[in-house]
Amino acid sequence: MILRHVALRHARRTLTPQSLRPLKRFVSSEVESADASVQNSLDEVQAIAAHINSLTAAQAPPIDNLTPSPAQPAAVSAEAAESYLLFKHRESQFGAVGSVVAPHYQPHTLLSNPPSPSDVTLELLLASEAHQGHATALWNPANARYIHGIRQGTHIIALDQTAAHLRRAAKIVTEVARRGGLILFVGTRAGQDRCVVKAAQLAQGCHLFERWIPGSITNGQQILGKCRTKVVNEKDEEVPGFEDQLYDRSVLKPDLVVCLNPMENYVLLRECGDHSIPTIGVIDTDADPTWVTYPIPANDDSLRCIQVIGGVLGRAGEQGQKLRQQAAARGIVTYPPASDLKPPAHTSSVASQLEQTIEKRRQEAALIDRTMSAEEPQEVENKDDLEDSRDEER
Amino acid sequence: MGRRHLQDFRPLRVRDTARLLFENNRIARRPLWYDVTGDIPPSQPFVRPLMQSGSHKSVKGRKPSKMFKPMALEFPEDALRDDFYGDHPWELARPKVILEGSGCDAKRWNWSRIVQPGKKLDGESVVQRQLWLMTNEFKTQSAAYDQARREFYHHRHLEEVGRRIAKEEALATGAYFGKGPLEVGMELEDKAYEQWKEWAAKQTEERKQQTAQMYTGPVEETPDEKELDDFDDTLEEEDQALLPERSA
Repeated sequence: MILRHVALRHARRTLTPQSLRPLKRFVSSEVESADASVQNSLDEVQAIAAHINSLTAAQAPPIDNLTPSPAQPAAVSAEAAESYLLFKHRESQFGAVGSVVAPHYQPHTLLSNPPSPSDVTLELLLASEAHQGHATALWNPANARYIHGIRQGTHIIALDQTAAHLRRAAKIVTEVARRGGLILFVGTRAGQDRCVVKAAQLAQGCHLFERWIPGSITNGQQILGKCRTKVVNEKDEEVPGFEDQLYDRSVLKPDLVVCLNPMENYVLLRECGDHSIPTIGVIDTDADPTWVTYPIPANDDSLRCIQVIGGVLGRAGEQGQKLRQQAAARGIVTYPPASDLKPPAHTSSVASQLEQTIEKRRQEAALIDRTMSAEEPQEVENKDDLEDSRDEER
Repeated sequence: MGRRHLQDFRPLRVRDTARLLFENNRIARRPLWYDVTGDIPPSQPFVRPLMQSGSHKSVKGRKPSKMFKPMALEFPEDALRDDFYGDHPWELARPKVILEGSGCDAKRWNWSRIVQPGKKLDGESVVQRQLWLMTNEFKTQSAAYDQARREFYHHRHLEEVGRRIAKEEALATGAYFGKGPLEVGMELEDKAYEQWKEWAAKQTEERKQQTAQMYTGPVEETPDEKELDDFDDTLEEEDQALLPERSA
């Protein structure tokens, strides 16, 4: 807006006295000095602080009849009251002015607060691009049942299949975590590290975001033999005195492996197959679904999708751990005791008692194993310390 | 890692393997996931999807062997989109947001008018508006297209006016804008051009000298240069004559 056009643009209204005020202000070059404005704001802050101090002093009640009240309530200065009223008046006048930010996608929330299995909707999966497959030429025909159709030369994954398989996998993770199983989360592609670590933290499992060292399961004694293990009781408290037994014990194997990029981790999945460890994997249209026990058909190239899936499985593990700890608080151990551990010798009377109990439990467990087809999880009552060795190498 | 060429079903049969191992006393007890995998079994592999009846009949030369393959997804918007972007190819050059917020973004839109809250006005608006006119007001495709694109032009014009006025107001209230991308580009281009001019002048000079040498043979000394050389020689002789005296 150029000044000489003001009169033209605003025509008659420009000449009225009300409309001259903004114009005068626009033309005027008088500016408050910086010092004065700083002094003003300081005064205002001090006044508000004094006002707040006076309010809090007035609210502090005496502790009892004998002890006097710590400070007499200071009188509210007129200046503070005036500034406070002015503040309130301005708030009522201009509080509603401005724009409201509508709820929108915030990428970090998938890591800081991952969705739980009950939050999985087709809309969420669609928004995280779980439906984008690979070019049709790259497909693996074994995935035909997961594919909804072809769009612009790309296979589109059916999101109802994705949701169903993801919920199924989440149930598996919950149940394994409830039984005290060791869950390994693997995502070795660039950018997957944070969601893998978060999932492992939630499920109290292990994580792997770098290369899988081939043979860590099939040749674990050589590769992981020096990793520290510890014995914990059902409340996850460390029980000392088993060090010499743990030294000879075979290394731990995961009870469940969650692999977010199976295409790059064939060796890991093969080792799991060799040692009959169930696996969960994100299967894109170019991956082989028979590499894993529980496939989740989804786009493994989208970080957002991987974060949703990793977060959901992590939350599922968290739920399982919570159930396990609740049962432990009630005195129920949801897993059988370790079979090849003997109580340490130095506490003789307690040890013999423990040994008897553990022997009894072992016999019971074996009996249950042989006879029952076991629809329900075994719940061993906790009378003593029943130990289970759990992994410590993270 | 041999046997990769064979289909390996062991991951799918972990439970059976564990059962066999336990029954043959190879392991002391069943793994803790044994009941879990029994209650929640894995899905079946290699299930052939149902034959999809429909448009494959109209596709010429669709082989019977391809009857079970996934089919192309087709929507009524596709033809409309092709029409619009065929007529307005530069609409494709505009930046576009493809990020979905919650996945329910499209549920809030109502195409009884072309401007939607939270959505930028673009070619997709025209397509959706046209489809809405065709289905709700039963207009022909071309009539709906005409109406939709006229509305689109109108709102584009309003946007442009709004942008211009906003800039004017900002400038009037003391804002100043830096150089625009075109100006910055032009400056860079000018600079590069000046550099090239220097370089080209030098190259031309060198080439001229080369051609001159090629055609004229050895350069003869001019009389001025001869005089200068003689002068230098006499100076040197004088210096040498003076040196022993000074040292002595």
